[in-house]
Amino acid sequence: MNMKKQNALPVIFTSFFQSGFKAKRTRVFILLSLIPVLLMLVMRILEASGSQAPGSSSDFFARVMLSLYFQLLIPVLALFFGSTIVNEELDNKTLVYLTTVPVRRRTVLLGKYLAAFLLAVLLIGCGFLLCFLAASLTRLGDPSAWEELGIFLGTSLLALFCYSALFTALGAFMKKSILIGLFFVFGWESVVQYFPGVTQKFTIIHWIKSLLPVPPGEGGFLIFQLQPSPPLESVLVLLVAGLLFLALAVFIFERKEYILSDNA
Amino acid sequence: MTAVLKAEKLSKWYGNILGISDINLEIASGITGLLGPNGAGKSTFLKIAAGQLKPKLGSLTLFGQPVFGNPDIFRRIGFCPEHDSAYSEMSGWQFILLLARLHGFDRREAGERSEKALLTVGLLESKDRQIKGYSFGMRQRLRLASSILHEPEILMLDEPLRGVDPLWRIKIMQLIKDYGKQGRTVIVSSHILPEIEAMTSEIVLIHQGKIFAKGDIHRIRGLIDSHPHQVSIRCQEPRRLAQELIDCDFVLSMDFGLDGRSLTVKTNQRDLFFTALIRLIAESGVEIEEITSPDDNLQAVFDYLIGK
Repeated sequence: MNMKKQNALPVIFTSFFQSGFKAKRTRVFILLSLIPVLLMLVMRILEASGSQAPGSSSDFFARVMLSLYFQLLIPVLALFFGSTIVNEELDNKTLVYLTTVPVRRRTVLLGKYLAAFLLAVLLIGCGFLLCFLAASLTRLGDPSAWEELGIFLGTSLLALFCYSALFTALGAFMKKSILIGLFFVFGWESVVQYFPGVTQKFTIIHWIKSLLPVPPGEGGFLIFQLQPSPPLESVLVLLVAGLLFLALAVFIFERKEYILSDNA
Repeated sequence: MTAVLKAEKLSKWYGNILGISDINLEIASGITGLLGPNGAGKSTFLKIAAGQLKPKLGSLTLFGQPVFGNPDIFRRIGFCPEHDSAYSEMSGWQFILLLARLHGFDRREAGERSEKALLTVGLLESKDRQIKGYSFGMRQRLRLASSILHEPEILMLDEPLRGVDPLWRIKIMQLIKDYGKQGRTVIVSSHILPEIEAMTSEIVLIHQGKIFAKGDIHRIRGLIDSHPHQVSIRCQEPRRLAQELIDCDFVLSMDFGLDGRSLTVKTNQRDLFFTALIRLIAESGVEIEEITSPDDNLQAVFDYLIGK
């Protein structure tokens, strides 16, 4: 019997990345992530036809796209991908297969988290890139445009990492995590970010916005009551918060007893 | 014999609902049937034994080790859950191969073992179909394959014959018996007495979360056979049949149906009664339309045993 102590993480990651790629949920999110691209194309067409002032599509990208991506798509995508890591296994009663194999529960959770995270990154990254290409067709030779794209992509990576980890922990903790997550995204994050004082630092979106290359006060949606936090501090906060949420998710998942059905 | 599984004062409840209560049990190698009506606590016991649930009170150990949060022990356990669950978007092959890889086998051996397990349960030809396209019985066999692919020392099967067609029922029973003969430990649950009886003589009766009896099935069977048992016979000439039966010592009472075409007999020796009935039918030529046993179920047996 060739039973070596193999690393199960790549096995779980590969398997759930492949099945996640084919899932209906992913197809829905592909369509959703194309909405900003379509809006961007419409803007370009309007600009080309003279209905919009030249350069307005780049402006549109910086303002509205960021609002759509960072305040809507990224948190919602992270919510649905993160919270279903455990919840889907409970709903489908499949958790039993992953918890009766000689693999630590943390490996199962991290493997599934990485698969969900990469899927979310690919979805958001592709949408971003297409939006950027549509917005910056006339200035593709400008290095600052690519630098801007790099910042957007880097920030989206951090945002997905942090939000996904939070919602993974929430999903590991409770069954109705989607509802709580929606309340967090559209309640707490949307409202508290505009609170005066340091309260807004208790939102993830505050640290994300602090990294975005839009001068505060210019964007209608980017209203900062305080000056944005320094970029390095923001990166560190998002990284540390993400790691803490992930550690919390592992802690819960390793100890919690999941009851899959009415027990007889 | 050394106990492979040991439960001491094991209790589990879900809020106000009792799962199992104060169970003390030792199970050695061989096949043990866990028998009890629906809701008796069989699944709760097996889920604790398979590390899916934590005991509320007491302890359960396998090979002297606790199970919950002890992944190394899962190399030695195979668990076939009761729920109809699987990754429906995966094919049967992908599902079994994933579990084989997670059991620590390299790609080649995982492939070989997956093929063997699917062949054993008769799903090799359908291995590339998505699980959502499988019938209930096929999914049940797939779950069985997932529990045997790593040839565990303890096999725990929760209602493994549910929804399986008669042919595969026999094959699975044989598979379980073969496992027992190899000196492995098999714990198989069911609420159907003849199913368990066909696989093992060692049974544990569980009822309302408690171990009600444990031991040889023949002793328990004796109790069951001697408890008053009703048999309803539907035929054209119930009074003629009653005339033939009235002299039998094991017939306690008889009732005629209002429609004049049925007879309900109460007997305290079911096996003797059926032997006599078959002989009488053959000799008298009475045409029988239907024979049913209104209380021929495990709940009735338990009610009798606990003196309800």
